[in-house]
Amino acid sequence: MINSEQALATAVSLLAPWAKKTDTPAAGRVDVTLEAEDLVTAVAALVDNQWGYLAAITGLDLGLEESALEVLYHFCEGAAVLTLRVRTPYSVASVPSVCGLIPSATFFERELHEMFGIEVVDTPNDDYLYLPETWPEGVFPLRKNYLVTSVEERCLIPLPGTETA
Amino acid sequence: MPTITKAAQAEKFVVPIGPQHPALKEPGHFEFTVDGEVVTAASVRLGYAHRGIEKGAESRNWTQNQYLLERVCGICSHIHATAYCLGVEQLAEVEAPPRAQAIRVLLAELERVHSHLLWLGVAAHEAGFDTLFMYTWRDRETVMDLLEQISGNRVNYSVNTLGGVKFDITDPIAVDILEGLAFLEERTHHYLEVIENDLMFARRTRGIGIMPRAQAERLGVLGPTARASGVARDVRVDAPYAAYPDYPVNIILDNACDLEARFIVRVKELFEAYRISREILATLPEGDLVAKRMPRRIKPAETIMRVEAPRGELLYFIKSNGSESPERLHVRTPTICNMASVLTLTVGHNLADVPMILVGIDPCFSCNDRGVIVRSEQAAGDLWTWERLRQHGIDYYRR
Repeated sequence: MINSEQALATAVSLLAPWAKKTDTPAAGRVDVTLEAEDLVTAVAALVDNQWGYLAAITGLDLGLEESALEVLYHFCEGAAVLTLRVRTPYSVASVPSVCGLIPSATFFERELHEMFGIEVVDTPNDDYLYLPETWPEGVFPLRKNYLVTSVEERCLIPLPGTETA
Repeated sequence: MPTITKAAQAEKFVVPIGPQHPALKEPGHFEFTVDGEVVTAASVRLGYAHRGIEKGAESRNWTQNQYLLERVCGICSHIHATAYCLGVEQLAEVEAPPRAQAIRVLLAELERVHSHLLWLGVAAHEAGFDTLFMYTWRDRETVMDLLEQISGNRVNYSVNTLGGVKFDITDPIAVDILEGLAFLEERTHHYLEVIENDLMFARRTRGIGIMPRAQAERLGVLGPTARASGVARDVRVDAPYAAYPDYPVNIILDNACDLEARFIVRVKELFEAYRISREILATLPEGDLVAKRMPRRIKPAETIMRVEAPRGELLYFIKSNGSESPERLHVRTPTICNMASVLTLTVGHNLADVPMILVGIDPCFSCNDRGVIVRSEQAAGDLWTWERLRQHGIDYYRR
């Protein structure tokens, strides 16, 4: 059984050259904040040293105050979870692709792009994964400024044959 | 092996299949490029069952979201709810009592049983082995009846609540569960024998869809699909959650790396599920079913909850913001990770092997969703239904 503390300590030292900030949000977890331009080199360090596997890529909309989005890359080694955090501003929302190192990241990157409108530079495929072809361009559903129609409003749609003049 | 005519060799076909998928009753869209019978490229299009659950979770409170997340998937409803509840409990710094955690694990293993039996039947059907399909689904009724006895539902048991569970395992129910497990275990021995010894079935599975360990690791596969390629990944073992520290799981691995191995791993996991269930029933801790206090508002924090669904690691990222609703809820299901392996594996294989390779990852369409197109560089796309692709596979191996 791999020791989580040791594994995370190894990861932190591998990422030291590029880490802007390192936090321990919970036991068995470490968050390392990076600049977008250092992401690929940092991921390469993990891949070359066979540190864990890429479990998921999560997009976050930090809201109007921050005017930025954040992308989280979760790597798992046994029970340890290492999260690389990359911020990108609304104005130029972009991160580099990690598919060159981890080909299976393509689905995560497609989802990130269509849901948050973050451009993933050099990603091999940026077709919609979940959204239909008819989805309006430039509308990113998981951004905070996309509001879901309330249930009440939907209920006000008249049933066929009951529309009033 | 059948001979391919010169004409067929020269032609490349686009065979689009989907979004209807009669066997699984779920929609989706794959595209396979074929050169004669051999697949040369593959891609996938999902989205037919996309319901905006992650977005929906942001405008519902922590309690309402339980019901939302139970419905991500019918087959693995319980594990989704378990991941959610464990994650939210972590954020709220609330611990469910030991009896509740044990019941959560018991239900998770019973869910694994129903899911693997369902899959076994569907996989057999894909191969044209309908007798096995009928028997596994008949026997699966046993575990469905047990789940209904426990929770009132055959599907979507809704056993979890924030802080614990809603239903108890009483002595009469425990007796029935043990009886059911005994029957299922006997039947499972028979299935293992069939899978390992039936020659026709072996033709569809042995040596097919080989994914060496290094490739499996590189492709990021999870769950039984990974373990059948010798990749020792199982969240119940790597990062035990709920009551798993008290009921340790023996990881099931196979080094054959082929489709047959994916069958064998899942069948052996059934035996493990029976063993763990019995152990839980024998040593169920006394006590409450729900933690005393669960706050309505949860202070800002982030948590990552990983659990082992029947198809592999399920990851929930939950961010709270001090309110009654999550700031962000990200559900990363195992099938999306395993899907990449299907696209890679099918290249170089015969079109006839595609249905079996796809079913080998135990795809959960509700967790993702898809359909199939087979295409070629020259001919215009020919839309196939899944049924046609499946029949193509059956006919191919009959020759």
